[in-house]
Amino acid sequence: MPCTINNMAWNRTGSWRFLTPILQDKISPCRDACPAGIDISGFISEVGCKDYERAWQIIVEENPFPSVCGRVCGHPCEGACNRKEFDDPLVIHALERFVGDHGLAHELKVQIAKAHGSETIAVVGSGPAGLSCAYHLRRLGYTVEVFERSPLPGGMLGWGIPDYRLPPTVLGMEIERLRDMGIKIETNVSLDSHFLTDGLREFRAIFLALGAQKDLHLGIPGEDLKGVLSGLDFLRGVKGGNPPALGKRVILVGGGNTAIDVARTALRLGSAPTLIYRRTRTEMPAVPSEIEEALKEGVRIEFLTSPVVITRLTGQQLQLECVRNRLGELGPDGRRTPLPMGGSNFLIVADTIVVAIGEGIDSDPLIQSLKETEAGIKVDEWGGTQIPGVFAGGDLTAESRTVPHAIGSGKKVAIAIDAFVRGLDRNQAQSVSLGSQGSFSMSSWINPPSETHRSDQVVTYEDLNTSYFEHRPREKVPQLSEMGRRIGSFGEVNLGFGEKAAIEEAERCFHCGTCNLCQKCALFCPDASIYLNIKTKAIEVDLEHCKGCGICAYECPGHVIIMENIP
Amino acid sequence: MTQQMMESNLLTPGHLACAGCGAALAMRYALEALGPDTIIAMPAGCWSSFIGIYPYTCLSVPTISVAFATAAATASGIKAGLDIQGKGETTVLAWAGDGGTFDIGFQALSSVAERNDDIIYVCYDNEGYMNTGIQRSSATPQGTWTTTTPSLALKSQPKKNIVEILGAHNIPFAATATIGYPQDFISKLKKAKTIRGTRFIHVFASCPTGWRHDPQLSIEVARLAVTSRAFPLYEIIEGETWVLSSMPDKTTVDKYLDIQGRFKTMSLKSRGEFQRQVDRQWAKLKKKCGINS
Amino acid sequence: MKKLMMGTEAAAIAAKLARVQVIAAYPITPQTTIVEELANMVSAEELEARFLTVESEHSAMASCIGASATGARVFTATSSHGLAFMHEMLHYAAGGRYPIVMVNANRALGPPWNVYCDHTDSLAQRDTGWLQYYCADAQDVLDSILIGYRVAEQALLPVMINMDAFYLTHTTEIVDIPEQKDVDEFLPPYRPDCKLDVDNPVTFGNVCGSDLYMSIKFQRHRDTFLASSLWAKMAEDFHSRFQRAHPPVEMYRTNDAEIVITSIGTCAGVVRVAVDRLRDNGLPVGGLRLSLVRPFPELGIAGIAPRVRHVIVIDRDVSSGAEGIIAQEMKANLWGKGRDILVHGFIAGIGGRDITPDMVIEIVSQSTRGQGKAVSVGNSQWVEVLP
Repeated sequence: MPCTINNMAWNRTGSWRFLTPILQDKISPCRDACPAGIDISGFISEVGCKDYERAWQIIVEENPFPSVCGRVCGHPCEGACNRKEFDDPLVIHALERFVGDHGLAHELKVQIAKAHGSETIAVVGSGPAGLSCAYHLRRLGYTVEVFERSPLPGGMLGWGIPDYRLPPTVLGMEIERLRDMGIKIETNVSLDSHFLTDGLREFRAIFLALGAQKDLHLGIPGEDLKGVLSGLDFLRGVKGGNPPALGKRVILVGGGNTAIDVARTALRLGSAPTLIYRRTRTEMPAVPSEIEEALKEGVRIEFLTSPVVITRLTGQQLQLECVRNRLGELGPDGRRTPLPMGGSNFLIVADTIVVAIGEGIDSDPLIQSLKETEAGIKVDEWGGTQIPGVFAGGDLTAESRTVPHAIGSGKKVAIAIDAFVRGLDRNQAQSVSLGSQGSFSMSSWINPPSETHRSDQVVTYEDLNTSYFEHRPREKVPQLSEMGRRIGSFGEVNLGFGEKAAIEEAERCFHCGTCNLCQKCALFCPDASIYLNIKTKAIEVDLEHCKGCGICAYECPGHVIIMENIP
Repeated sequence: MTQQMMESNLLTPGHLACAGCGAALAMRYALEALGPDTIIAMPAGCWSSFIGIYPYTCLSVPTISVAFATAAATASGIKAGLDIQGKGETTVLAWAGDGGTFDIGFQALSSVAERNDDIIYVCYDNEGYMNTGIQRSSATPQGTWTTTTPSLALKSQPKKNIVEILGAHNIPFAATATIGYPQDFISKLKKAKTIRGTRFIHVFASCPTGWRHDPQLSIEVARLAVTSRAFPLYEIIEGETWVLSSMPDKTTVDKYLDIQGRFKTMSLKSRGEFQRQVDRQWAKLKKKCGINS
Repeated sequence: MKKLMMGTEAAAIAAKLARVQVIAAYPITPQTTIVEELANMVSAEELEARFLTVESEHSAMASCIGASATGARVFTATSSHGLAFMHEMLHYAAGGRYPIVMVNANRALGPPWNVYCDHTDSLAQRDTGWLQYYCADAQDVLDSILIGYRVAEQALLPVMINMDAFYLTHTTEIVDIPEQKDVDEFLPPYRPDCKLDVDNPVTFGNVCGSDLYMSIKFQRHRDTFLASSLWAKMAEDFHSRFQRAHPPVEMYRTNDAEIVITSIGTCAGVVRVAVDRLRDNGLPVGGLRLSLVRPFPELGIAGIAPRVRHVIVIDRDVSSGAEGIIAQEMKANLWGKGRDILVHGFIAGIGGRDITPDMVIEIVSQSTRGQGKAVSVGNSQWVEVLP
């Protein structure tokens, strides 16, 4: 009987194709938006697999403070999350907090990467930028000494964020982890400008992360009257155990996180705060969920209102004259200009007025020799000042003054310092840049991936194939809901995900641009020419047989596979 | 996930199917479900043409390539031969296209079903005689372009409802399935494997070449067929119990029709008629499944 | 054991003795008794087999092929239109080298409907690659089926055992039924090396390029061609065990014959009666019965009938527009043998019209005289037709 003797593998049907599937990780929009450059899809994938330790390791590759950021970060990642086009964006910050807290509960340790050098680097300032830089330098094998002016480390994290948002114990434990790594943090140390020259004899490089700790002035008459406080000073006082006496009627001027923090703190100290802001709620720079909580707790907000004059009314009382605004044309920062409406002035009586309209840098003797711009100290794109070996970053140099930006900045400078010490071309560091927020990938700096492995393309919603997902709203983050209990203390308001909610939420992630070995490609190949290689744990294409139909690329949920014309 | 998605490698690459072939995929899923203790009777059609050129084959289970009309009859003979030699546990799979099932092979299939012979019959449906160059079969839907139903004389008759016909034979198991939802297809075959008697599965297999769509859309087309209810997923047990397989949310037929070139010359009136037909059949099906909408 | 029975019953008994394992058959007059008998035997568990009551002859052959491919011994029976319906599958069975044995009751093809004896049905299938054997009597039916399996399974070719409709299917004769154990010794179980087997998965019958196809067909042709001597050999073995001969060709008084009357099937019996009568009148005439028609046996006419000058062929069939098929085959076989032999082709007995000794004598007379009542069209002369 005519019967067959062997299979058809000799027939190289790969010669049929004119497009070839290429697997290439791309940047998820969450990672693109994250100033700290965290591999969000990666850590969420591990949460889904219940490997919280691995998830934690992925986060701390880039960001040393997951428990902190999970609580205080403004999560621009969630605003960029592609799932928002499908149903709700992922509650990424709650997942980061869940993983961070797991790390704290299990006292997980950070791995020091192979030692690159044994030089000592000085870091001035122990806020998020300084500590982030110290952390990454230590991971690269350097010896690091951190000098902090105040009695406690943490910078803004320590004295600028109220306890109900960031419990001091959590911050303390995350900073303690850095000490356990061998980073020396000295507090109550003041340095002057000689440090910039003398210091370079003792230290191979210096990173200045002094922050921006001075409140901006309103520039209106009566601003220096007694009873008019700066927002940052107020928060500092509360944290230091010396809350200023506010009285009942407290007016806050400002719309950022500091203003909200002050308002909710004032509430807990027994006052009835009213916040005045010159534009509307949409334009308020504070984190939207913070504004939401403030309103829930009973903070009154007067929108489209600007202060005009402060006068003394009676002994202890102040009077604030305000004017109503309307919104005009778009200004240079993309927001509509507030225009005072003539004849709409009115008066408010207050016991205390707190001004929280933004920060600027201090005129610290340490930095007086360095050039300045509007944003702060002048630096090149790598954080280098005019003095070789002296770098600066964080709020000291940046226009975007947030916690994740500071962390990202510290990391970038750590890479720049590593390049500086090893005599590398700093443009090499460009290869590990991520996304559009100017962040860098430390994991790529330590373990450079292969050329074709990752592209810089950010995955959009239209790129995805959402057929494999069912609509499901985001998991709710538990909170202290009883208002009386809430504002009666400084206890933490957001309680974080339990394990079940964390896993459920993690499963909603689209993993944009990252291959999470879902193997839809392998499932749908008519030629069995794309499959999981068990040994390398990666998807492989059989180029001898792949006909280039493109099903794998089309079905890939995360847009990892694309079809390219390869001769 | 560190396990392979598909465990079996009973279909090896190098076969001659078109890029994006739904029928090839259907076989991968069938072998995944049924395993190596399977013998296939395969009549003339796309599969017998692309399985490989003598003396080579892309299948790692015993297969006999038979005459066009004889899938069911040959399978029945194979089963009898195995049974009398004490190998009755081996699964005998008749694997035929829509031409070899709805048309030329229909008589033999009906006979096998009436006798309730112990075979699994899978019809991979690409809705036409694709191997011979895209001619119409009784599985071609109404309004479709084929080479024998050209644009000025599109197919006027609706698609024959083969699963209902097989259900009327009271065989233990008849079902529809699709390459768009492979887990459903595989579980239906695994279920079929545990039943004795004639088991029939009608699997939707996209055909980029005959349907005029981009090969990368083969799965998308199959999905849209289900979501638009043009190809609903259901089972008929013992000819009397109708069970709807879980169905995703509904869409209109527009996306389904727009994505395929073979429907390009359908008039608006025909499209409307197509939607009405789909809605009618869906209503009937729900009623049979005991679902009041 | 001797018993009185019809040829169809003899066929069923032969299938039982051969221990067939799968039967797939469809009823058609006049073969129906075969399948009825077999159904009885299987239901009474006299025969351990699977019986598939298929819906058509085409499916019957398809099922037989399927079963044979798994290594089972299979049997089926049909006639006339059923055989014609199977035509595609006859090619398939032979091309696939499946050793199927099938009994065909030679019956006329319609229209008009006619259920009586006619050989056109099987002869029209002579190109399919099946071995074809034509039985003389009911004993021949039983014995040739057994020999047929032996030949089929060695040559890996299917065998068609033909029996005349009604003359053999519905008349009763004494048939000697051999003992099962003796048959088992003559015909061991079928154990092919190449079959559908999950332990050795191969594909049968897929697309083949022209180069290999031609070689495959060449091998088959050669094997079919050599099956004639294989049949003779197996018939020899059968003869030594059962004392009955079933050679490819049977001669009657041909040693000194100048005229040889050739026929197939039961007609040959009538020819023998006519030969005896003509011999009584001094005519040097003999009879030649072909049992094997495919492959057409090498006649060695110089040895069979050294003095023959006229070969008369009585065809109970016709290749319409040409002539009698056996006549064509005879001419092809005798061509170029260096002998000056005239072949006279007669068509008689179509549609079951009786062939009598008188008719045969008349045919001989017409052949030698050159004229007679038979009507000529081209090379064939038609007996007892309305012009």
